Amino acid sequence: MKSKILIIGTLIALSPLLYSFCGFYVSKADGTLKNKTSQVILVRDGNRTVITMYNDFKGDTKDFAMVVPVPVVLRKDDIHVVDQSIFQRLNDYSAPRLVEYWDQNPCNVYADDKMMEFAKTERSVMAPSANGVAKRKDLGVTIEAKYLVGEYDILILSAKESGGLKEWLTSNGYKIPDGAEEVLDPYIKSNLKFFVVKVNEAEKKKLPGNFLRPLQINFNSPKFMLPIRLGMANSDGDQDLIVYAFTRKGRIECTNYRNVNIPTDKKIPLFVQKNFGAFYSNLFDKQWQNEDKSIGFLEYAWDVSPANYYHCDPCIAVAPSQQDLVQSGVWWLAGKDWNDYSDVENEQMDDGSKNVHFTRLHFRYNRRSFPQDLMFQVTPNTETFQARYVITHPATGNFNCDAGKKYLQDLRKRRKNELVELTALTGKDINTWQDDAAAVNDEEDVADAQYATLLPQVKEEMERENHSPAGMILMGMVLIGGAGFLRWKGFV
Amino acid sequence: MRTGIFKDARYFQIIFQSIFLAYGILYLHWNAEWWLYSTYFGISILTQFLCSIVFNKKTIILFSNNWWKKFQVSIPSAMISSFGLSLLLKTNHWWIAALAAIISIASKYIIRINGKHIFNPSALGIVAVLYFTGNAWISPGQWGSNVVILFGVLCLGFIVTTRVQKLDVSLAFLGTFGALMFARQILYLGWPMDFFVQSISTGSLLLFSFFMITDPKTTPNHSVARVLWAMAVAAVAFYLTTFKFMNGAPIWVLVLAQPLVPVLDRLFKAKKFQWQYSKQLTTKESNFLRSVYTHAVM
Repeated sequence: MKSKILIIGTLIALSPLLYSFCGFYVSKADGTLKNKTSQVILVRDGNRTVITMYNDFKGDTKDFAMVVPVPVVLRKDDIHVVDQSIFQRLNDYSAPRLVEYWDQNPCNVYADDKMMEFAKTERSVMAPSANGVAKRKDLGVTIEAKYLVGEYDILILSAKESGGLKEWLTSNGYKIPDGAEEVLDPYIKSNLKFFVVKVNEAEKKKLPGNFLRPLQINFNSPKFMLPIRLGMANSDGDQDLIVYAFTRKGRIECTNYRNVNIPTDKKIPLFVQKNFGAFYSNLFDKQWQNEDKSIGFLEYAWDVSPANYYHCDPCIAVAPSQQDLVQSGVWWLAGKDWNDYSDVENEQMDDGSKNVHFTRLHFRYNRRSFPQDLMFQVTPNTETFQARYVITHPATGNFNCDAGKKYLQDLRKRRKNELVELTALTGKDINTWQDDAAAVNDEEDVADAQYATLLPQVKEEMERENHSPAGMILMGMVLIGGAGFLRWKGFV
Repeated sequence: MRTGIFKDARYFQIIFQSIFLAYGILYLHWNAEWWLYSTYFGISILTQFLCSIVFNKKTIILFSNNWWKKFQVSIPSAMISSFGLSLLLKTNHWWIAALAAIISIASKYIIRINGKHIFNPSALGIVAVLYFTGNAWISPGQWGSNVVILFGVLCLGFIVTTRVQKLDVSLAFLGTFGALMFARQILYLGWPMDFFVQSISTGSLLLFSFFMITDPKTTPNHSVARVLWAMAVAAVAFYLTTFKFMNGAPIWVLVLAQPLVPVLDRLFKAKKFQWQYSKQLTTKESNFLRSVYTHAVM
């Protein structure tokens, strides 16, 4: 079985990158896996951090209010409003992707030039937001600074104790979710300030559209963290968070929760392409449960330095341009004119000072699984990673030659493995795919290798694997008990 | 009646460390970097071999039977250091891994006072590579805070420490660190309890307490000195973790605190590290083991 890689001319990417050996982009799953998904861009180098928060508030802008703890009193220059399309571009660029290969019929040799259509899934991400009505009252709360930036009225508060702060916030229309109040005291005692935002109606009217632009803040702090506790709703509301991080040295990772790579490079059945978004959603859900929830998933990591030629492989969307990076807050790229080739003759060693590494992390958090705010570190890990899933179209024609018969055998085996893989990844019972498998209509030649035929066979053959923690605990206790017994008996 | 390999406590440590590594790869779904582990083990053993030649005591003829026996006896120590590196130090480049292994093993031979090496080999290897190359990292969160690992590490660590190493160091370190964390997070800042539990139950901290700081050859001999030293390490590590937001502070502080050990040994004169084996050892066996332990570098 050979795989044949085709060139698609319709992709809006730099054309040399399309000669990818990683399959063809068919579809992608974006971040809309649950109702509530926030997106944040983090840029970090040395002690300087830039955080850009996506704002998808849909409603009366009078009702919008946001509270973010920050370590220092920000200056007006440290606060910007950016174009919200950058989030869409980053999401599209780094989303998990489905790629396809075509098998070649070993009995003939001919060019296969079918093309696939792309399925675009809907996007609707939301950032946590609050609502209320503006009022004025002062309660041991000091307004350290007051700015008007873009369409936002911004206050930076410091407080002496949480009761006063809470009352001030509530009476001014900033709603703190129940259960998140317990973080106010620790934040105040840790000397955090509170960055509170409302919409300035007059400024908003000057802008077109009915959306609120993302806010970007910029500060120096030895702590590299993301305060998620304040945004946690009580009860069992899980919230998704996608972090796009840019650093100079390499990937970022979370230091107080486990980091796991999302399963990647998996071969899955053809019929998944009809609903790749749902597949990834189920996969993420299952993996999140499997790993015991208190984890962050890595979905993408790549070197996106301007000097690096390949920014993705395969490319499913335009990679972020230098302007995108600067807008996201990558300050070390600003100021260089990339159209100026006068220094090309200088054989200057690449000192890494213009490197940019991108990491996409996906968290799903709730109060119980995430008692602490997310703390990160920058690592020098420059390995690339992407969440990539593979479908393979079977060859067509007749398979009367020996090689053809062997191909059919391999095909059946491969497709059975794909079904097993699908079940393992998504955690759904194999019967769920009965209809989808029957609907896929391959060529007549490979009738006995159709999914509908193979599915019942797989059902019989499959054994359920159980990775429950109970098994591990049991094994651990047996080991320790055994060791203790041996010692007691004097064997060791 | 003791059989072969179980006489030497280092084999226990190797078994436990391989269990942890297997747990990490199979259950926690770490990226199993086989090239990295092979580099650590391979270069460690190679360095051990070269050091055995270069630093051979004049009393033993090079490559004689005695020499080979001595070299074989030193291999488990090299393996323990390699496991320590495999569990903790990550890098993208094989030469950095090799450097860490070389520093670990060679430091046992080169940096010595009064016939005892000063630095815990894997800790020094890790810290040296982190500081001088900047091209390696440790992942404090790689274990998670799952209660299973907590339970497992405590039990396994207990067995290892009560056999050979001193449990008092572990408890002194963990107790002080935990108490300071508690005081800061719960009493002063007012975080809820599960915040503190998460901080204290990370696998990295527990592994450090039970397997790294407890190395008997690089801790003070006298028990009072040992406990005070461990408490000091805990206090400084707490300070760096909480106020300077340093990752992996315990390992750094350990390495910086180890030069104090010879000083403390001189101030607190005590019996040198004694075997504390159960009474079932015969005199011949205990003599053999003592000789193994004092001559082999750990």
